[in-house]
Amino acid sequence: MELKSLALRPQRCGLVVMSLLLSMFPVNAYAMHISEGILPLRWSVVWFLATSPFVAYGLYRLRQMSKVDLSFKPLVGLMAAVVFIISCMPVPVPTAGTCSHPCGTGLSAILLGPSISVLVSAVVLLIQALFLAHGGLSTWGANIMSMGVVGSFAGFLTFKALRALKINMTAAGFAAGVFADWATYITTSVELASGIRGDSPFLPLFYRLVIAFVPTQLPLGILEGAMTAGMVVLLYKKRPDLLVKMRVLKPEEVAI
Amino acid sequence: MHVLSEYPIKDTLVSRLDVRLKLIVAAALLVMLLSAKGVAFPLLMLLFSLYLCLRLGIPLRGFLLRFSEPLFIASVVLVVKIVSSGHDILFSIQVVGITVTGYRDGLMEGLAIWSRIAGAVSIIITLGFSTPFAELMAGFSWFKAPKDFIEISLFAHRYIFVLIEDAVVIYNAQKNRLGYSTARLSLRSFGTLAASLILKAFENSQNITTAMVQRGYDGNIPKLIHRSFKRSDVVVSLIFLTAAGVMAWRV
Repeated sequence: MELKSLALRPQRCGLVVMSLLLSMFPVNAYAMHISEGILPLRWSVVWFLATSPFVAYGLYRLRQMSKVDLSFKPLVGLMAAVVFIISCMPVPVPTAGTCSHPCGTGLSAILLGPSISVLVSAVVLLIQALFLAHGGLSTWGANIMSMGVVGSFAGFLTFKALRALKINMTAAGFAAGVFADWATYITTSVELASGIRGDSPFLPLFYRLVIAFVPTQLPLGILEGAMTAGMVVLLYKKRPDLLVKMRVLKPEEVAI
Repeated sequence: MHVLSEYPIKDTLVSRLDVRLKLIVAAALLVMLLSAKGVAFPLLMLLFSLYLCLRLGIPLRGFLLRFSEPLFIASVVLVVKIVSSGHDILFSIQVVGITVTGYRDGLMEGLAIWSRIAGAVSIIITLGFSTPFAELMAGFSWFKAPKDFIEISLFAHRYIFVLIEDAVVIYNAQKNRLGYSTARLSLRSFGTLAASLILKAFENSQNITTAMVQRGYDGNIPKLIHRSFKRSDVVVSLIFLTAAGVMAWRV
């Protein structure tokens, strides 16, 4: 009877469990990274292999761009520093009564393109793993996949698609930030569920993890969207030439 | 930004050990931990890492501060495993009208994952505390990590501290003008702060390139030269790895 009632309401059960946990641990909820040691060796290797073509292509693009512009490598390094700082800033999440942090990959994907943004994420995740214990070395591949690959491509494609539909910068930036964040968190849930499920079926655990992180990640995605929109609009107002240089805008869009 | 605090470390065997050997030992220990089925070996590694960090002069608070995030995630995973995996019922309680059932086998699996996280994180914390970033990057380059990746990582690490100073100045100015007094203003101020950092990153990248080109930069960092291994470092690492391997196998 008890098993049946739990099976019928896994989402509500997950929500209750998450609420209890949040009240038990009044710390910042850095739910975006998979911690060192969570994934078994097999899954760590799988995510490393899945991520490596994207990192390799990012490095190829970096080399190509650096041949044209010598300042490109320092710029990518500095953008990684900015993303690191942004992702260390605690943002209050009122619904959960805790703090979380933006991931910043949506913005870096808009400005540098998704393949370079994968590299930026890889650098940020490495520094965070080594010096803040956010994420880890064995989970580096998995975290690059969720934050770097899926987050960057989701943000970039959303922004480009909306701009192609003549949607204004604010709305396109907002949607890019929201989707980059939510796509990252859904991928993290997939990675976690596949890594920790053991003999249990994948889908029920995946749903529970998705719901467990809803109290922080749902509002955080909206906050990240608002911040990304704010940043893109401010750059558009102050330095539209930079957005043209980074191919975010066409020259004629600035002239108008 | 208090989490970025670096502590002055004492001169110990761990801080003196060749960075390449540290990376090999850390990687081998991670493999052992990720393959561990029980809780004893990961918890032993946790205690050993704590001892090494205290010997390095890291305050207990600093060690625990770095543990707060992994501990939160490990605890979420533990609770999710208790209520979602297994058949052998451990407890069944009513929470706001919903029956929450915990399973004994889920608890055991969850504890195994929890201890694995604790052990693995403690290894990385020790590596991070005992080794400067530039040394770690030099170590990675010996393992043939792409040099472009090493280069942008070094740029990023160097300029994190420069940009943090700028961020603190902007943040204090915004705060003095009540820029964080409401949620709406906070969001706006944070967006302005982040955009200002991006503008500074663009400007700095141009200035850095100009300065580096004047000093002979042609788009590549000079090749990192590695000294040969010390025999004593190799022996110590081998003894430690053998002992850890035996423990991982036996406990």
